[in-house]
Amino acid sequence: MDYSTFSIPQIRQLLLDKKATAVEITKFFIEKIKLIDPKIKAFITITEKEALEKAAEIDKKITNNETIGKLAGSIMAVKDIFLTKDIETTASSQLLKGYIPQYSSTVCQKLLDQDAIIIGKTNTDPFAFGGSTENSGFFTTKNPWNLDMIPGGSSGGSAAAVSANLCHFALGTDTGGSIRQPASLCGVSGLKPTYGLNSRFGITAMASSFDCPGVFARSVDDIATVTQITAGHDKKDATSTHQTIPDYSSLLDSVNLKGLKIGLPKEYFTDAINPEVKAKVLEAAKVLESQGTILKEVSLPSTNLGLAVYYILVPSEISANMSRYEGIRFGQTVPDSSNIISYYMNIRGQFMEPEVKRRIIIGTYALSSGYYDAYYTKAAKVRTLIKQEFEKVLADVDVILAPVSPTTAWKIGEKCSNPLEMYLADAYTVCINVAGVPSLALPCGFNSNNLPIGFQLIGNFFEESKIMSIGHQYQQITDYHLQISKI
Amino acid sequence: MKITPIIGLEVHVELKTKSKMFCGCKAEHFHVDPNTQTCPVCLGLPGALPVPNRTACEWCIKLGIALGCTPNLTSFFERKNYFYPDLAKGYQLTQFEKPFVVNGKLVIDGQEIRINRAHMEEDTGKSVHITNNGQDLTLIDYNRSGVPLVEIVSEPDITSAEMAKKYLLKIQQIIRYLGISDADIEKGSMRCEPTINLKIEDNGQEFFTPLAEIKNVASLTGVQTAIDFELNRQLEEFKQTGEGKSKTNKTTRGWDADKNQTFLQREKEGSSDYRYFPEPDIPHIAFTAAQIDTIKSTIPELPDEKIIRYQKDFGLNDYDANLITQDINFAASFEKAIGQKPSIEMAKFIANLFIGSLKTYLNESQEELDIYKINPEYFKNLFDSVSKSEISSTVAKQVIIESYTTGIDPVEIAKSKGLIQVSDSGEIEKFAKEVITNNPKAVEDYKKNSMSIGFLIGQLMKASKGSANPKMAKEILEKIL
Repeated sequence: MDYSTFSIPQIRQLLLDKKATAVEITKFFIEKIKLIDPKIKAFITITEKEALEKAAEIDKKITNNETIGKLAGSIMAVKDIFLTKDIETTASSQLLKGYIPQYSSTVCQKLLDQDAIIIGKTNTDPFAFGGSTENSGFFTTKNPWNLDMIPGGSSGGSAAAVSANLCHFALGTDTGGSIRQPASLCGVSGLKPTYGLNSRFGITAMASSFDCPGVFARSVDDIATVTQITAGHDKKDATSTHQTIPDYSSLLDSVNLKGLKIGLPKEYFTDAINPEVKAKVLEAAKVLESQGTILKEVSLPSTNLGLAVYYILVPSEISANMSRYEGIRFGQTVPDSSNIISYYMNIRGQFMEPEVKRRIIIGTYALSSGYYDAYYTKAAKVRTLIKQEFEKVLADVDVILAPVSPTTAWKIGEKCSNPLEMYLADAYTVCINVAGVPSLALPCGFNSNNLPIGFQLIGNFFEESKIMSIGHQYQQITDYHLQISKI
Repeated sequence: MKITPIIGLEVHVELKTKSKMFCGCKAEHFHVDPNTQTCPVCLGLPGALPVPNRTACEWCIKLGIALGCTPNLTSFFERKNYFYPDLAKGYQLTQFEKPFVVNGKLVIDGQEIRINRAHMEEDTGKSVHITNNGQDLTLIDYNRSGVPLVEIVSEPDITSAEMAKKYLLKIQQIIRYLGISDADIEKGSMRCEPTINLKIEDNGQEFFTPLAEIKNVASLTGVQTAIDFELNRQLEEFKQTGEGKSKTNKTTRGWDADKNQTFLQREKEGSSDYRYFPEPDIPHIAFTAAQIDTIKSTIPELPDEKIIRYQKDFGLNDYDANLITQDINFAASFEKAIGQKPSIEMAKFIANLFIGSLKTYLNESQEELDIYKINPEYFKNLFDSVSKSEISSTVAKQVIIESYTTGIDPVEIAKSKGLIQVSDSGEIEKFAKEVITNNPKAVEDYKKNSMSIGFLIGQLMKASKGSANPKMAKEILEKIL
């Protein structure tokens, strides 16, 4: 039986009805990964042993008539920047090769506690710095829809794994688009929640005030199920929310599309966007309009400043967050150095990937005495402005609909020589992180080369329930999210 | 030539909270096996996040208020970036732009010393340098990493080494009154870094010598000696070179306690660039005025206020009031002993017992005064007996110690030891006659010189085993003779 086509609740039901065992399901996925992953290289580590152990544990619970977790039997892939106890966690950087964490990230632990099965750790740009997985210290993941193309990034491995049906859901993080953009380029769904909805504890930090852990799945339905488990306050993360978490799954049909106001920000539909992408995103808007929603043009005038703000504040935070990687307490070591400074330089010089160094240098520069006010302080002010613009528009319309990526997936290597061009690909996603609001990326069709296209529904703070309900209803009348590449 | 020292002090105090500043590890680390009190947070492991210790923040504010500072209702942490092996994260969490409390002052010998700020930060780990098989090694103990640290920064208002020492002692006393730290310089729970230079006025011209910050001063006397040494050194250097203070010639000097001298550690090219920026892992911390009032209400009466009250209400002199209030527990025990609304006489009497007797005993036995062993009733009984001349003040000083150690009423102790003064004239007469009979030569002496009665009184006291009222003994002897 092809267990990859079942939803998370269906898998659990299969176990309860004794139509399948968790071990059978796990073995099915391991076989599939062994067959397909060599082509797309979504995984850095395949945790066959741990997965089978967990599966046996679940099966035992069923045999003993014990209660099983809400995600029992579901196969999850985890971006390799989430720490997993006793499982190598590399952050796709040579710097952490061989690092075995002594604790698990809160999000992972919560999912494991609900009997999800970790099948492996997925590739990303190192420490999530990038948008294509090409910066990975190990290899580039390929887009399941076209193996010559990038899968997007940074959570490209997770997006590709879901896209190729190598798991039921996958974890990613979105600091500037790193869930939504690969979801779009790989034709799957992905949620970047409100900043603080999911705990960041145990995830290697990129930019602490931007990082949002989130989930990829085929359907919004499954995203709701997983987010239900991950969301909520974590006493180990001071920035995590104290909000009460609604019952997302039961609210999936709750939003009445009739009369619902959807804003289309004009700054997101300019000529800078690929015409095919623009057409498909507008088509998605039309589909929702056909259900009675009201489309309205809105304006987010500071959009063009988003990238500048993002590429000052994010590297600034990165420059400090990367300081702990100096080879003393964990990670790679080098033989004797003459003194501590040369040791630091050897470790960091030898094992940090170029993009990691680039961002540390940019951030260090922006925070330096004499430049701080001109860069960091000013960017922080514009950040407030951008946030206020979102709040203002979202007071007028219920949600905002926009493209995710200005283009479809590009050829591997195409933008590698030009980091700036790579940064520009984030133009439609970063502002959402600058503001901190939630956004749900959904597939809405293909271009003429059969590459997936996605759009995003942006809600107000902690309105995940609303955007998921709209997304879910959209997926009831479309089938883009069910399309699978012929790999 | 007129020379004025300009001294500012940075004082670091480790708070004795149960847990560390940003994680649940135990904060107390003195003489604990290395690296046994660590976790992903204080080891700076990937993915670990700091969660601020509420109590530590409140204690910082409490200390600030006690130092006359004003709290900032909204405050935040910042990252101070630098690389050092004992700094696990590669940055220290501290406060730069918005410390918890600002603008305080302390008065030392009538001179006001302004306090710029008191801010909250975390301690670093400890580098231990050893030689193993001929190889120099540096080992790092992270037990101290993340221990809550308050930094108190003074303005350069201190003008002598002695004043610096008094300022430190005052801060130490206040901290101990608040019960938020041992503030023990020898153990490292209180550390002090003086920054020093001189103002030299000569022939109507003004010069300032280059600033020097002194590190590794590990004792109170060290602070004084180090400052004195450095003041002299700067003066001598100025006489030789005539070099004045500039933006780039601030130096850091270490204190060598063995050689009793400071030595150059590093020359600074201006100030280091720590690239401070707001800590994104911790939301801003806000206190309401009501919360600040609650914190304020937990501040006990501080030594300066106590001294004034003791002088006013109990008639103690400045010296005695100072001695009793040095330690909060000692003062509290004194206040317990005198009870509610004591007479000035009784308060003074008990103060004398505390200073003259208990304090000496405690110093000798190296004990802490146990307030639970203080029984106000006993002190009142003793005072009454001395007032009625039943017990001499000398005996009172003896028996109060025994009473303190045994828990028995001091008057009962005096009685059981036959130390009650005999004020019965018949009794004393009996002793007097005995003494006169036994000491004919002394009686002869007395008849020649009435001043020599002292010897006979002495003999009488001896015969009565010290229990006779000496005043009455003299009178009765004189009468008989």
